Amino acid sequence: MTHHINRRGLLKASGAMALLSGLASPAILRAQTPAIKVGVLEPLTGNLAYNGNQCAAGARFAAEAINAAGGIKSMGGAPIELVIVDAESRPEVAAAAVDTLAEAGVCAFTGASASALGLASSQAAAKYDLAQVFSVGTAEAIVERGLPNVFRFTPGVTKITAVALENLGLLNEAAGKPVKTAAIVHEDGPFGSQLAGIVETELPKLGIEIVEKIAHPTPHRDFNNIALRVKASKADILIPTNYINEYTLMTRALQQQRVELMAIYSILGGAASNIKFVRENNDIAQYVIDCNHWYDPNKEASKALAASAAGAGIDMTYDVMVAYATIQVIADALERSGSADRKAMIEALAASDYDGSIMPYGPTKFVNGDNVNSRPVNLQVRGDKIEVIFPKEYATIEPVFPRPAQG
Amino acid sequence: MMRFASLGQAALVALVVVYLLAVYLLPSQVWMGFTINALAMSIVALSWNITGGFGGMASFGHAAMYGTGAYASAVLQVQFGVNAWVAFAAGIAAGALMGAFIGALAFRYGVKGSYFALVTLAFAEVLRICASAFEITGAGRGLQLTLQPGVATLQFNNDRVLTYTLLLGIVALVMALTAWLKYSRFGAYLVAVRENEDAARALGIDTYRVKVTAMAISGAFGGLAGAVYLQLWLFIDSSVVYGVSISVTALIGPIIGGAGTVWGPLVGTLGLHLLGEGAKTALHGAPGLNFVLYALVLIAALRFLPQGLMGLAARIGVLGRKGGDDA
Repeated sequence: MTHHINRRGLLKASGAMALLSGLASPAILRAQTPAIKVGVLEPLTGNLAYNGNQCAAGARFAAEAINAAGGIKSMGGAPIELVIVDAESRPEVAAAAVDTLAEAGVCAFTGASASALGLASSQAAAKYDLAQVFSVGTAEAIVERGLPNVFRFTPGVTKITAVALENLGLLNEAAGKPVKTAAIVHEDGPFGSQLAGIVETELPKLGIEIVEKIAHPTPHRDFNNIALRVKASKADILIPTNYINEYTLMTRALQQQRVELMAIYSILGGAASNIKFVRENNDIAQYVIDCNHWYDPNKEASKALAASAAGAGIDMTYDVMVAYATIQVIADALERSGSADRKAMIEALAASDYDGSIMPYGPTKFVNGDNVNSRPVNLQVRGDKIEVIFPKEYATIEPVFPRPAQG
Repeated sequence: MMRFASLGQAALVALVVVYLLAVYLLPSQVWMGFTINALAMSIVALSWNITGGFGGMASFGHAAMYGTGAYASAVLQVQFGVNAWVAFAAGIAAGALMGAFIGALAFRYGVKGSYFALVTLAFAEVLRICASAFEITGAGRGLQLTLQPGVATLQFNNDRVLTYTLLLGIVALVMALTAWLKYSRFGAYLVAVRENEDAARALGIDTYRVKVTAMAISGAFGGLAGAVYLQLWLFIDSSVVYGVSISVTALIGPIIGGAGTVWGPLVGTLGLHLLGEGAKTALHGAPGLNFVLYALVLIAALRFLPQGLMGLAARIGVLGRKGGDDA
């Protein structure tokens, strides 16, 4: 007996199979462990959209890696499902977006790229007993309100500035103290102003005099006058604190105006630790130093993340790294609590001693919501790479300070 | 007494009222959250409506009054430890003073029309830079109120329903004052100035005084909106309260809803927020596209609804020749 497959027969068979698979799939779904929802609240639009989208990408990579590794094992291998909401770069929208997360049934969430957004969202989340693990939130006010649902995994502005200045002192000391004066250029928002204020107070203690301090708004486009003021100040080094676009334009203007500096030493510099800046402005970027959030590039998970980001065409910025790490922290809390209950998550996070994240931190220890074992890293642009120069145990290259004369 | 020009207007207002009451019953907190935002923004829209709607003095810088109210209240509470209620009242007064100051300065030199709009924009921008420069205003770091929920601190963040109810009360009060102003002698003066300032002056109206008073009243409402924002979110910085987006929000609501009407600013602001939220839900997963849809509807509304939604509604079911006026 022979069987002939004609078009009508094929259609019938396909239809039957589709029907069968449709009937069968609910049974398969029922057998699967339900996904655990984790929120990602980031500014996907507005003036912080670049950072927010990078963070969202980092969170996605983390969820994919955790799910690929078998999900949350203490909960029967439940996969993590991200619920991503847009804070639109405005505090009141960030707060309202928490309602969406709470109603979606998330067990905790990460966010929100800027302190102003995080302050509003964590305050709103407190009403739901919903934990927020801060990806980036440098303002100290975040952990000074006594909110039990706040967990800042990454370092705040005080710690970052202290570490940055300590490392600057070490570099200057090792080079024979060539740096005597500094100029500060900072954006005039909460982030830049607070940081510049601390630097202004602390830098003279290292024997470095501040000869110029210039604030600029965000956005700001023409940096020629600022570059000329820095040049006129005859500062040995420049300490900038601003966002990526302004940082790029500022360094271009410094080059155009032939400003001679021993170093550009950024603290949370918008572009100095951004590979896009290095790629597109390679000559200007050389030897720029930044103190910022960064991962430990030697860890296996870090290498896997770098490969995933490269595969997706996404630049490896600190936003990607910190968001990835915060999802790891949340996953660890889920693993230990064995429950997606919000209060249980707050308890699990408060008791966290997780040391498996991609960040170069010791075991997590939240004291009043602040991870006391977090720390920033010093980076230097060398060639087409961003290399770690401090802390020494994670360093991938020896620092060059002062930088070779330009020309 | 509130009168409606048409059944359409009455129906539109009824729809808004039903929605605002339905928020209490909706199981979703999302609706309450975004309606709280919409109500908070509608106060600054009502503020713009006094000068831009009734007085014909379109401002592009209502953030000047809004931010001044917020900063005055925040500085008093954070830097001087003043009671929140007193600081709240001081925020309203500071907004009124700022409005009167801008008005007095601009109108003294006969600035009007688009030049007036640009002057207000410049004031808001100057104030933004000042707020980000001086230590007393947080010097760019912004000012953060200590989280202490309670009546004494005017912080009701823990009780969503109470927050919503209080906001509804504030909006209702501002609208009642707007309605009173509209039907008062002063309101008639203001409309006369809008329609023909020279003719109004010829009739004996002190147009300078009327305009400066309108700016002061508008400033008081703007200051109130800023102080409300502070109490809701407990944090302000210069770009949040003096930013251009506040000035744009202030004028778009009345223009879409119907400038120079009592209900227009609320209808417009609420409608735009609903549109934005709807677009966000419909285009979930494509952040930013909701703003594109929002902009398209805005352009269409500006092109086809010169009198706003209240104007459109006024053409539906007109209540006879003497039925009423734009509510």
